[in-house]
Amino acid sequence: MADSNLFSDAKTFSCSVVTPEKIVLECAARFVALPAHDGEIGLLRGRAPLVCKLAIGKLRVQTEAGMEIFYVDGGFAEMADNELTVLTEDARRAEEIDRGEVEELLEKARARAAGDPAARLEREKAIERARMQLRVLA
Amino acid sequence: MANRRDLVKRRKAARNIRKITRTMQLIATARFQAAFKAAVAGRPYTDKLAELVEKLARATEDLDHPLMRVPSENERRVLLVLSSNRGLCGGYNANVLRTALRHLEGSPLEQESGDKILQEDGSSSLLTGSKGETEVHMVGRKGASYFRFLGQAIEREISEISDSPRFEEVDALANEFMNRFVAGDIDSVSIAYMKFLSAGKQEATVEQVLPLQRSVSPTPHHSEARGKQREIEYEFSPEPAKILAELLPATVRVRFFQAFRDAAVSEQIARMVAMKAATDAAGDMIKYLTQKYNRARQTQITMELLDIVGGANALA
Repeated sequence: MADSNLFSDAKTFSCSVVTPEKIVLECAARFVALPAHDGEIGLLRGRAPLVCKLAIGKLRVQTEAGMEIFYVDGGFAEMADNELTVLTEDARRAEEIDRGEVEELLEKARARAAGDPAARLEREKAIERARMQLRVLA
Repeated sequence: MANRRDLVKRRKAARNIRKITRTMQLIATARFQAAFKAAVAGRPYTDKLAELVEKLARATEDLDHPLMRVPSENERRVLLVLSSNRGLCGGYNANVLRTALRHLEGSPLEQESGDKILQEDGSSSLLTGSKGETEVHMVGRKGASYFRFLGQAIEREISEISDSPRFEEVDALANEFMNRFVAGDIDSVSIAYMKFLSAGKQEATVEQVLPLQRSVSPTPHHSEARGKQREIEYEFSPEPAKILAELLPATVRVRFFQAFRDAAVSEQIARMVAMKAATDAAGDMIKYLTQKYNRARQTQITMELLDIVGGANALA
């Protein structure tokens, strides 16, 4: 996996998504779309070394078997030597997200009091999280 | 003999206890395996994070972050003690609490009165808390009741964090401490817990989490792996300093989480060992009681025989 020969026939690179609790995904990917802090970044084999900050959003991983979609709660991504590591505090497969539950969360987040700036920031973040989870589902 | 019936009763009681302790041992073993697996599953995240911090720290010249602020005087300290909610785990709680107390004795104890003033007005800290104070945040019911027994003040008792801690639960706590630290409300945060070194060795330690130390020392196997690797020129987005500013809080959060998870694993190991000892001791007790019972029975039989033989001899 670790060979960095750009001209080899292989089209995949290794991709892992880890959270403090567990390893969510470890596989060979053909293509990955990261929700970077300033927009989506697409990665293919042979990508130049990159460290980037992630936003709350949708992570797409194209494996040999098909497309896998995740929701990630911010974090960081590092790509070097055809090895991509996504570090995030919360990552969930789209199939694991329960629409009803998220909608409830969104309601709750909206109902939150936004008094001082800190509380408002918290509220906005909670809304963003719920919204993005819904978008991942869509 | 009445003694015999007593022995039978006691043996039965010992058997019942052994059944219970054996079950508890099995449960602790299962829980330990689950907790251990969870601890191992989280390792890649922790390792990678440390690696990233290291790389970024090299890419940024002067590193300055609110979380690294070193207060001129360590005045308001926080000690977070991780004890268990449930007992019957041998010396687990005693060890952690002893270590925590020793740490507290090393630093002057807190005064409740000064506490209130400080929260309202940070600037008064020079007047009221010049000696320095430590507020104790206690996780786990066992530790809380012990500290209450000692008359040691506890700022807050946290008992709702489960035996298998989830990141969200710890996250909230870590964020709260970080916010207070950045706001200047507290000057340092330490955690007293049972560090999990291996299945055979755990150690009660007090670790300082905040302020962050400048040198985030990598574990040996880490630097080794990097030695082989050539220096890679990374593309950073956004610039390293900004990423680092986000990475550091994540490191603190994960350290909190690690401590909780270590504590959970250590607790199960301690319980496993304690229950194994209890089961063995019950076995010994049963053996002893059985021996005593047999002896008593034999004595009775001998006495009866003597009676009969004596009677027969008298008749003859």
